[in-house]
Amino acid sequence: MATPEASVFAREREVGTRPFAVVAHYVFQLDLVLLAVVAGLVGYGLWVIRSVTADDIPGDAAFFLSRQSLAAGLGFAVLLALASLNPDVLRRVRLPLYGVTIVLLVLVLLTEPIRESRRWIDLGIFNFQPSEFAKLALAIVVASMLASSGADGVGWRRVGVVLAVAAPAGLLVFVEPDFGTSLVLAVVVAAALFFAGAKWRIIVSIGALAVGVALAVLWLLPTNGITVLKPYQEDRLLGFLDPASDPSGSTYNVNQSITAVGAGGLTGRGTEEASQTTGFYLPEHATDFVFSSLAEQRGFLGAGLLLLLYGLLVWRGARIVGLAPNLFQMVLAGSIVSVFLFQIVLNVGMTMGIAPVVGIPLPFFSYGGSSMLASLAMIGVLLAIHARGRLSRQAASRFG
Amino acid sequence: MQLPTRGPFLPGDPRVERPFRLTRGLGLRIAVFGGLAVVLFGVLLFRLWALQVVSGDEYLAAAQENQVRTARVDGQRGTVVDVRGKAIVENTPGTIVQLWPADVPPEEVDVVVGRLSDLLDVSAQDIYRQIDRLDGDPLTPIVVKRFVKAPKPDFILEHQADFPGVVVADTEIRDYPLGRLAAHMVGYVGEISTEELEDRDSDEYGLGDSVGKTGIERSYDRFLRGTPGLDEVRFNALGQQVRQRSLSIAATAGNRIRLTIDSDLQAAAERALREGVVNARTLDDDAWAAAGGAVVALDPRNGAIRAIASYPDFDPSIWSGTREENKIARLGDTVTNLPGLNRALSGLYPPGSVFKPVTALAALSELNATSSAPILETEELIPCTSEIEVADRIFKNWQDRDEALTLPFALAESCDTFFYDLGLRFYNLPEDRGSPLQFWARRMGFGERTGVDIGPESEGLLPTPDWRRQHYRTAVAKLWKPGNSVTLAIGQDDLLVTPLQMTRMYALLANGGKLVQPHMVAQVEQTGSDLDDPIVLRRFSPAPPREIGLDANHVRVVQQGLFDATHAEYGTSSSTFGNYPVPIAGKTGTAEKYQRLPKGYLESDHVVEGLFDQAWWCGYGPAAIEDEPTLAVCVLVENGGLGGQAAAPIALEVFAEHFGQEIPVDDVAIGNVVGQTD
Repeated sequence: MATPEASVFAREREVGTRPFAVVAHYVFQLDLVLLAVVAGLVGYGLWVIRSVTADDIPGDAAFFLSRQSLAAGLGFAVLLALASLNPDVLRRVRLPLYGVTIVLLVLVLLTEPIRESRRWIDLGIFNFQPSEFAKLALAIVVASMLASSGADGVGWRRVGVVLAVAAPAGLLVFVEPDFGTSLVLAVVVAAALFFAGAKWRIIVSIGALAVGVALAVLWLLPTNGITVLKPYQEDRLLGFLDPASDPSGSTYNVNQSITAVGAGGLTGRGTEEASQTTGFYLPEHATDFVFSSLAEQRGFLGAGLLLLLYGLLVWRGARIVGLAPNLFQMVLAGSIVSVFLFQIVLNVGMTMGIAPVVGIPLPFFSYGGSSMLASLAMIGVLLAIHARGRLSRQAASRFG
Repeated sequence: MQLPTRGPFLPGDPRVERPFRLTRGLGLRIAVFGGLAVVLFGVLLFRLWALQVVSGDEYLAAAQENQVRTARVDGQRGTVVDVRGKAIVENTPGTIVQLWPADVPPEEVDVVVGRLSDLLDVSAQDIYRQIDRLDGDPLTPIVVKRFVKAPKPDFILEHQADFPGVVVADTEIRDYPLGRLAAHMVGYVGEISTEELEDRDSDEYGLGDSVGKTGIERSYDRFLRGTPGLDEVRFNALGQQVRQRSLSIAATAGNRIRLTIDSDLQAAAERALREGVVNARTLDDDAWAAAGGAVVALDPRNGAIRAIASYPDFDPSIWSGTREENKIARLGDTVTNLPGLNRALSGLYPPGSVFKPVTALAALSELNATSSAPILETEELIPCTSEIEVADRIFKNWQDRDEALTLPFALAESCDTFFYDLGLRFYNLPEDRGSPLQFWARRMGFGERTGVDIGPESEGLLPTPDWRRQHYRTAVAKLWKPGNSVTLAIGQDDLLVTPLQMTRMYALLANGGKLVQPHMVAQVEQTGSDLDDPIVLRRFSPAPPREIGLDANHVRVVQQGLFDATHAEYGTSSSTFGNYPVPIAGKTGTAEKYQRLPKGYLESDHVVEGLFDQAWWCGYGPAAIEDEPTLAVCVLVENGGLGGQAAAPIALEVFAEHFGQEIPVDDVAIGNVVGQTD
């Protein structure tokens, strides 16, 4: 074991004490590959938003681009702040954080519904979506609880408490209604249990129950030609779960989306020729179905590049899980990277007709300030965990 | 040395960092997560590859079908020119507004139709009717308006959001540089009707096509219309036209039709007819109701129609572009005397004395050959009296007379009693001889259509004993009586003819006894080829004039009578033609026709019923022995009174234009001819 003094002197020898040198040294502890991937994703996303929304507001081609750019700028500020913050601080503020989140989720239910759901709080310049931030808040709370589980690991009892704490957030989002985001919150909890070392039989029991029911009824059986529910029942179920995702016919959106993706071909149709997008056949082409627009305009090369960037993101995220300096940060990192993986797979799968139509934004791509801010904030946390993990390991290897 | 305090930002204090080591179990879980991620990304990438690279073409086609509407576009319609290449029908550019009902959101249909109705001044009912006719076909537009004037098309384009499914496109509409000239013959173009569509080859005709509805436009539609092309119009999901239409299959232009009509002669005929009809009212108090007429002029050598006029006429542009429905409706109004009726082809009139040459030829052929009846030769004299009594009925001549005449003389002075006598002789023929007068009349083209290449054409009515039996109800009426034969001989009884039939008959007299096939289209020419030296795609050569079994000597006898009629002192139209430098032969006719004239007809304040004299003149020229006649002309003035007064001067105007020989001044004064009648 290294003595505290020794470590400090070692650092001073290595880095010096001038603020610039300290900051610079810290910066190099961040996962710069992840940062580069995210910067690339955000830049790519803005470029795509610009081309898919150019015709949406006649006379103002940059309407969506300018707003999304502003959100990205704000998001990077949040990212930098969180990247430099010790994630353990988040653990200490978990209760106020979660309390504020619950209050906001209650407040949002008092607003006027937009397209039959109450998801946004109007802040004047943009609509603030509390459920997006609930993802990170819930991840912090759940990770904290699971990290202090003690030596006997995560048992049924602990799981029960965690589910009880997470339930209010999940239910509040569900009744907005925002089925997609409530699913994401479920993924936060499930991933936390998984990475916190909950016993396999618990994981398997919960996972099998939830995934089995959902997939069988809504996806696996219908797409393979076995209809458990009558078509109109299925439509109603999906409509009930998420009415805003499917405003005009339950299959119209997906069919148009598949057509758009397929029509893109290898190299894409370009912005002018992409008729599914420019002709408004593709609904929500800047938000839930932005991937379809990208695929139509830029083809397999453009869409494949995006999947590659997402793959890098998940890879770096998974690596950070392993690098985390403590259990709390590891579980937190695990939840965050799981959320990204889930949103990416569900959204992209939905646009290509292999996942149910659930309104989940594609991180860094779908138009929406709250999603952009929340995604960048979570990346900031991941970067910080990486840096802390690296520093911890350096210290351990130097003095251990 | 002061140690850095443990703060939340930037480097943490390594002293408190408890080195955290992954257990094997947690490491495994990260590996499981990584494996899951690899599988999921693999599935996504595979699906993306399958959709885009493997099936990309199908989806591309689906995406294009999503937005592309294909519409038939008419080829540029061919022009119609006269015999010398002067344009009668041309095209002029216009703007068309179409609606694709399938691209209008259902809840907006009423609003969009309302806006179009207001903007374009089209009845909403009409638009709905057309939408219904489409029966939900999403690939065919309806034509809201064919000729839209600026700035309305620009308004629609600027407010596309308010007009989903509405398309503005260039088109061409019919234009008539010579105005009303030959309006009845030219016909008009309109959108194909459901019935027409069913009757025609579906490969060539489609919903929304323009087709010729009447006249030349109809009869020669397949040459004029060209081949329709296909137009692609792109829409977005909101039903807005995305960009200008692009041709996917270019339409080919139709061909040019050259008529046998001479537009100068046509114009002269129309002018002479118009002025002559109005003038007729001033000549004779009984002719107050003259308000219509027809002129036909054809070449007796081959049947080519040089001029064909019908009065009252109309402006054919009322159908062009935007149909002027109220004016179109007036074409069938009896108060304005049916301007839409083509009297030359479809008007039915008793011929009166212009029929006498038919009777004469039939008598020369039939009454010669039998021993039971006296031989009729030019030398034989038949009494021309003031009246004769047949079967207790008195039949009067038009003038007091008591002299035996030769046939040419009787034709020249148009002695009715002479021909009554012939009629009676026909009646008295034995039963097994049938009805030779009608037989010859039919051979000369009466009672059947001439088969002229444009329609509609009436067949007229040639009464026979059989017809009478079938047509009448009472036993007495069913019977063919002596009076029927007697009046038929002077072109009355139930006999009805068209001016074209009558002209064809006089062409026969002019060419020595051959029946011609009237026609008015000479050839189809390559559009755009030189007018003086055209590329001829198809020449129409109608059946050559055909012998009908007349003795040339008999024809000459009648020709002599017709020449005397215009030149002898006793001729019925000598005062009109006698001094004309080109020898003209012809016959007058004044035929009684029962008419019921509606209130408002020529501003009359009540309905008028009764017998009105139909004025005729038919003839040909040049009629000298050494010349071959080049023009046969018939003129009819409805309710015009005496043929010599009302009709003959009109015919002279036509001849004057044809021969380029002006009318001597003393013949112009029409009203000073007194005593020259029937």
